[in-house]
Formats: sequence, structure tokens, C-alpha cells
Amino acid sequence: MISIKGVTKRFPGVLANDHISLEVREGEIHAIVGENGAGKSTLMKILYGLYQPDEGSIELRGHPVRIDGPARAVALGIGMVHQHFMLIPRFTVLENIILGHETARFGVIDRRASEQRVKELAGQYGFAIDPKAMVATLSVGQQQRVEILKVLYRGADLLILDEPTAVLAPQEVTELFANLRLLAAGGKTIIFIGHKLDEVMEIADRVTVLRRGQVVGTMAAGETSREGLAEMMVGRPVLFRIQKNPCHPGAPLLSLDDVTVAGVGGTARGHGRGHGVGGSQGPAWRTRIARAAVDGLSLQVNGGEIYGIAGVEGNGQTELVEGIFNLQPVTSGRVMVLGKDVTNRPTAQIRAGGIAYIPEDRHRRGLVLPMSIWENLILGSHRRREFVRRALLDRDRILGHATKLREQYDIRLADMDAPVLALSGGNQQKVIVARELAQSPQVVIASQPTRGLDVGAAEFVRQRLLEMRDAGRAVLLISADLEEVLSLSDRVGVMFRGKIVAEFPAEEATPQLLGPYMLGGAAPAEMEIPLADARGEGGEARV
Amino acid sequence: MFRKRRLGLQVTAPLMAVGFSVLVGSVIMLAIGANPLQAYAVLFGFSLGRIDSIASILFKATPLIFSGLAMVVSFRMGLFNIGVEGQYMVGAFAAALAGFGLKGLPAIIHIPIVMAAGMAGAMLWAALPIYLKIKRGVHEVISTIMMNYIAYSFLHWLLADVFLDRTQVLGQGGFGSPRVRTPELAASARMPTLHKLFAAVGIQLPHYIYVSYLLFIGIALAVVVHYIIWKTPFGYELRAVAQNGPAAAAAGINSERVMVKAFLLSAAIAGLAGLSDLMTFFGYYDIDFPRSYGFNGIAVALLGRNSAAGVIVGALLFGMLARGAEGVQVMTGVPAEVITILQSVMILSIVVAYEIITRYVRTQRKKEVGA
Repeated sequence: MISIKGVTKRFPGVLANDHISLEVREGEIHAIVGENGAGKSTLMKILYGLYQPDEGSIELRGHPVRIDGPARAVALGIGMVHQHFMLIPRFTVLENIILGHETARFGVIDRRASEQRVKELAGQYGFAIDPKAMVATLSVGQQQRVEILKVLYRGADLLILDEPTAVLAPQEVTELFANLRLLAAGGKTIIFIGHKLDEVMEIADRVTVLRRGQVVGTMAAGETSREGLAEMMVGRPVLFRIQKNPCHPGAPLLSLDDVTVAGVGGTARGHGRGHGVGGSQGPAWRTRIARAAVDGLSLQVNGGEIYGIAGVEGNGQTELVEGIFNLQPVTSGRVMVLGKDVTNRPTAQIRAGGIAYIPEDRHRRGLVLPMSIWENLILGSHRRREFVRRALLDRDRILGHATKLREQYDIRLADMDAPVLALSGGNQQKVIVARELAQSPQVVIASQPTRGLDVGAAEFVRQRLLEMRDAGRAVLLISADLEEVLSLSDRVGVMFRGKIVAEFPAEEATPQLLGPYMLGGAAPAEMEIPLADARGEGGEARV
Repeated sequence: MFRKRRLGLQVTAPLMAVGFSVLVGSVIMLAIGANPLQAYAVLFGFSLGRIDSIASILFKATPLIFSGLAMVVSFRMGLFNIGVEGQYMVGAFAAALAGFGLKGLPAIIHIPIVMAAGMAGAMLWAALPIYLKIKRGVHEVISTIMMNYIAYSFLHWLLADVFLDRTQVLGQGGFGSPRVRTPELAASARMPTLHKLFAAVGIQLPHYIYVSYLLFIGIALAVVVHYIIWKTPFGYELRAVAQNGPAAAAAGINSERVMVKAFLLSAAIAGLAGLSDLMTFFGYYDIDFPRSYGFNGIAVALLGRNSAAGVIVGALLFGMLARGAEGVQVMTGVPAEVITILQSVMILSIVVAYEIITRYVRTQRKKEVGA
């Protein structure tokens, strides 16, 4: 179907793709795996015409092609399903799908013809979706299907899916895989970029492993194992089961008592939010705005334990963490740290009470990217007495402190004065982890602490969290990576629509057990039906 | 090594901009039939050729150092204090009140009081915009522009109706009308000029030169501003809030408090911009008090790459161009407006030059650190 021959792409100082050659066969699901920075996304951007290779060529069905832009890629039948959806929430499914490819008659969009075509496509590949539903009312899994339909509608024969499972709950992954198999059976070719090796083993026919811009090898999924792939990716054997000491829980260090956080849309701030909601939107959209993001949540984390919160993203996890630190106001309930009520206290005061914060979005909440590495290593502790001398920041002592952290946390950098944005994602995260844990906090709130990190860096961060736990500190771990939550936590709570809907000891928790709770405490099927059928029009679209 | 290389690049951009604008100026002069080489020779020769001319440049640069520094503080905070214009006028007026209102003080006390009044007046004028910004989310550009117009009219009214100097001696026979101005400042409120200092090194400045100790105060203030921004915990917070507010908030920094402090600091510095004219040249505040130091301060800060040292260089350059423009107009017949065009092209091209340099630095950095 498509052969990549010796493709090389250089960026200043980086060889992103180093003579990559691989062949994707017609009708197969071909997975491409590799650590961050291995060159997966560069390669995909070349295939989609966003980058031009410096060397090498691409052949489509035996003919050499030049893909000089996404429009050309689409014309050649190559479609990309992005990790972050490119949908307009207030448009219907149909409107989103035809956007940019509207067929018009006498200058008016020909809805009927497009709808017919979308329904055909949906039916053919088993997509249960109502073309007239507004995208804002759909679940993440359904939105992803809209993205795939969009690509199919434009006539793609080769679909590139960039980490499509990152945003899905386990049951949704199963459904996605069923769709992908139907697509492959229908003659479509799929390139699947992933990093969860279990999933890759399950869905792919063949797997290509990239490391440092080079192809390590391509093999049939049946001929390899998860461990084998991991070793190829990292270049050394990787421990999957984390070694954990037995848990000795102590006194509760963090307790949340019936905490409610309104979230965006209903915040206490008076200005700027009063427009745009209401009118013709569907009822689901409106209720989503009206409900508090964190809705009377209670939990306790004891010293010496890791409490993991599992759940699909967008169920109030962000607001919960921001509420704890008073970055969003807690509208009711209490936040207690080490037995002291810190609800809605100034953030500096909350943090001084011995609570560290590893934020989910390190670029937004964790770092000041243009500032230097040493400055970022003291963010928040910059007024501590040891760092200030005669009203000025004591650069020598701060640099000494920074150098110590750099050694302890293995932060790889060339120059402390360089802005922190010059570091790789893994090293940026290490800067945050080092800064936060250096203050020997009693409570650690770690939100998506390994997101976007490669296997090695993720392992490092997890070890640090376990060390905190073994030292008797309380760790609250929030992660969209279910495997991470299950392997690290001593207790697991499932968060859904702003509440902890179930709580399990770690040894009982399994993905199969948690999955239904993550989707609303009911069987997953119930979630799907109302959205497609309640309007009475979904029938034809279903298989 | 990282720092040094970047410093070199930062100097490159303004030089590129100056060179480019000289080029554009030449094209314009050719278009109006003048000889650019001659004009530039006069521009530099006239302004730099004589010691009293250089002293005049220093006098013209003094207010721009203050307004430029005020802009640096606000830009570094991520705020655009267009209100420096109105703030320095209100500040100068308040300083005038303290200057003619208080009597019998020794200069050593009176002068600091006048300067403090200037800063206080400007801060007062900045208080409403920053309050509206924090509490109601009103953009400071809008509110400070409005405050500038209010300042013009408000001061006009105060001058014409309230504080008009009615003791002025009118022309013969009582004809003519009095100047719309305040009473004159007490002698103890006048900032001493540098004549004595120059005389000490053997240079006799003519009496029509007014460069004063405010020049040294401005230079010292530049050093202080540099330290505040880059070395103090407050400056650290100011930069953190400006460059990533959410991360600063998460680290426990009270962004609103930092913003208020920085904005008021910017205004306080602005309040000194009008004092050079008030305390040395005029000795009173009148209806023709010089305008647009605030707007030129924006240009100077841009030219100076938002750094305190750069502001001094930028202010001196603007002072030189202003001085040179006088000579060019008289001696070559090229209108002084051409020099104004030169200034404007310089500001535009500097923005472009910085962008080019920034991109270059970014790619260099990737090579160096190995992203």
C-alpha cells in the first residue's frame, strides 16, 4: 500500500528520522511504537504532508508520490485522526463531518445527500452514531468516531491514528478496536501509533518499533511479546511490575470532606462568563454546565499510602486538585491538611503547610517556560530565607541548591541559565518533581505525573512517588493511565461526574472491575443507547 | 557562555534597525531632492560636534529615561501602561503644587518633597486603571488611554480656574492676558543644573542649557530598576506572573498583589518624567507643558529591548535625533519631520529585527541543548 524508503528528517541538532524504511500492506493494521522522541510523530507528519523529508521517498501503491501538504495527502487518500479532536462542539455530527467538504446545490448545502453518505459510511463500519446529534453532547469515544468518519468521508484509504486510546476508558477502547477491525476487513489500511503495548499487541497485525529515529525492526504481532517490544523500544529490559513494599498506613494527612467545586461556568468570579450558553443547545450540554465539577466529594489519604483516583478525564479531577490549592474556589465542604482546615486559604499558606503539587499540565501550572532552569527550581520557595540575602536573590546558593537537585533527580541539562523550555518533556517534569519533593512535603498531590514521559523517565517519577509513600508521606495520585493507578496505588477510588463512586483496595481492583464505574456506575451499554436512540433517528445508523 | 552569546545578539537587533532606518531616511531625502549624506553629516556633526550640544542632548534624554524605565517595568509585568503620558503630567502638576505651595524649606528637603509629590500624583492617576483591571477585568490599555484624556482636561481646568498665577505682571498698561500657568516654584524647589559640575572640569556651559542632576538620578534609577527586575524576589515574582500567571498562582504567588505593586512602581517612575522641565527649564507648570514623553517612552523602551541599560541608550539616541533635527532643518533645509520619520521607521524595524533575532536564538538554542 505505502512504502517509506530511507526517509530522513533533520531538525537543528536533532536527527528525528534516520533513514527510516518500512512497508505498510493493504488492509492491515500496522502499529508504530517507540518512546517519546523516537520519531513517530515526525514520520506521521511527513506522511500527512506537514513536513517534507530531507532524504528518501514515499511510494503509494508502487508509484512515487510527493506529499507537499495535508490537502495533497487527503487527495491521495491519506487521513489523519489527531489525538486532540478537531471538532466544533456546537455543530452537529453531520456538520462537523462535512466541514470544508460541503457539497452544495445552487449555493445551498445539500444536507440530504451528505447525510445519506455519512449514514452509509457509519453503517458499513459499525459506527453507532446519530448524524444530527450535537457534538458537545457526545462522549469522548463517540467524538473520536466522528473524527474517523470525517476522515472516511474525505475518501481516505489509509488512516493514521495518533495514540487514539489515550483518552478512552477500557470499554471504549474495546469498541474502538471493533470498529478498526471492521475498517481493516473493509479494505482500509490503518497505521496505529501507540505506546500502550498491551493494546498494540491486541489490535495490530504487524508492529514496527522505532528508537532514536531509526527502525529497530518490524514483526508480526503474533511473533513477539510485550516484554520483547519494550526491550526493543528502550534498548534494555524493562520492569513492568513495580516492586512495592507492603503498605503501612498511618494517620490521615489529607482529608476532603464533602468538597464541592463549581468549576468553569459557575465560578464565584463575576465577570466575563455570562454569555453564550443556553439558547438552542441540547439539554445534555446545559446540564453539564450547571452541575458542579466536583460534587460533594469526600476522601482521606493516610500517611504511608498512595491513594489513586481512576476515571475518564473531565470528571472533575482537574477542578478537585485546583480546589485543594485554592486555584479555584471550593464552594462548600472542607479541605484538611495535617488536621488543619485550609479550605480557600491563600495558596502560599496551603503549600507552606507541607503539601506538594505536581500539576497535570506542566506547561500551564508547573513551569514558567521562558525563565531559567534554576529559577524554575525555586518557584514557590523563592522567598525562603536561605535563598535571599540583603533583599536580593542569592544566586550562588540557589545554584548550589539547583545543582544538588539536578544530581539527585538526574536532570539532564547543559546550562542552568538556559530557559526551562529548552529541556525535553521528561527533564521538565523532573524539574517539577525535584522542586516539589525537595521541600520534604507531608502530602503529595500528583496529577498525571508521567503523562507524555518516555518509559525511563516515567519509571523514575513513579519510584520517587513510592519513596515518598515508604517515608510515611501521603500521596494522592490522579492519572488517566489506569495501569499506572493500579500498579502504584494502595487504594483506588473511581471518580465519575465529580464524585468518588467506588473505592477498592489495590489488590481487588482490576480494569474490568473499574471500567463500568468509570463510565457511570452502570453497564457500558446503557451509556450508548440514549444518545443514539432518544431522538428516534439513530436506528438507521446502527448496524 | 550562554548569557554572553545572547547579549551579543541582543545588541545586533537595534543596530540592524538603526541601519535600516537610516537607509529608509536616505530614500525619503533623495525623493525630496536633498542630499542624504550631507543631512546625516549635519545630523551627527551638529549634535555631537560641540560640548553644549551634547549637554542639550543629555537634557532632552533625561525625561525619556524616566518614561522609558516606567515602560520597562510595566512591559516586564506584562502590562501595557499607555497611561505614562497622563501620569507624568499629573505627577508634574502635583510636584508644582509642592514646589510653589511650600515655602521656607531648605533645598535638601524641598527637592525630595517635590519629587515625592510627582511620584505620588502619578501613582494616584494609575490607581483607578489598575483597580479596574484587577477587580473588573478592564484592559489597562483602554483605561489608561482614557485617563490620559481626562488628565489633559482636568489639568487644563486646574490651571485655568483654580491655580492660575494671578500675580503675573501683564504687559504695559495692563493689556494682554496672563499666561495660563501656576505660580513659580520656590527657589528651594529648583533642581540644580550641572553648570558647576562642568565648570569644575573646565567646561563652561552656556546659560540656556538646563541639564540637571535629574540625569544622574535617572541613571541611578536605571540600575535600581535592573536590580529590582532581575535580582529581587519581587522582580522574580513579577517575571513569573507575567510569563505564566497560572504557574505563578500554583506556586503560591499572589498575582494580583504583584501586578498592583508593579503598576504603581511604573507610575511612580513615570511621575519623575516631567520634573526635568518643571524643576529646571520652566519653573512652573503651564498649559504648554511638554507632551508625549509617555509615548516616546514606549519607543525608547522598545528600542532598548525592555532593559534598563537599553533605555538609557535609547533615550540618548532620541535626544541626539531631536537635537540633530534642529540642525538639519536650519542648515540643510531638510524638514525636521524627516527625522521624526526616521524615529518611527526605527521603532518599526526594531520590532521586525527582534523577531528575526529571536528565531535565530531559538534554533541556536536547540542545537546547543540538543532539545
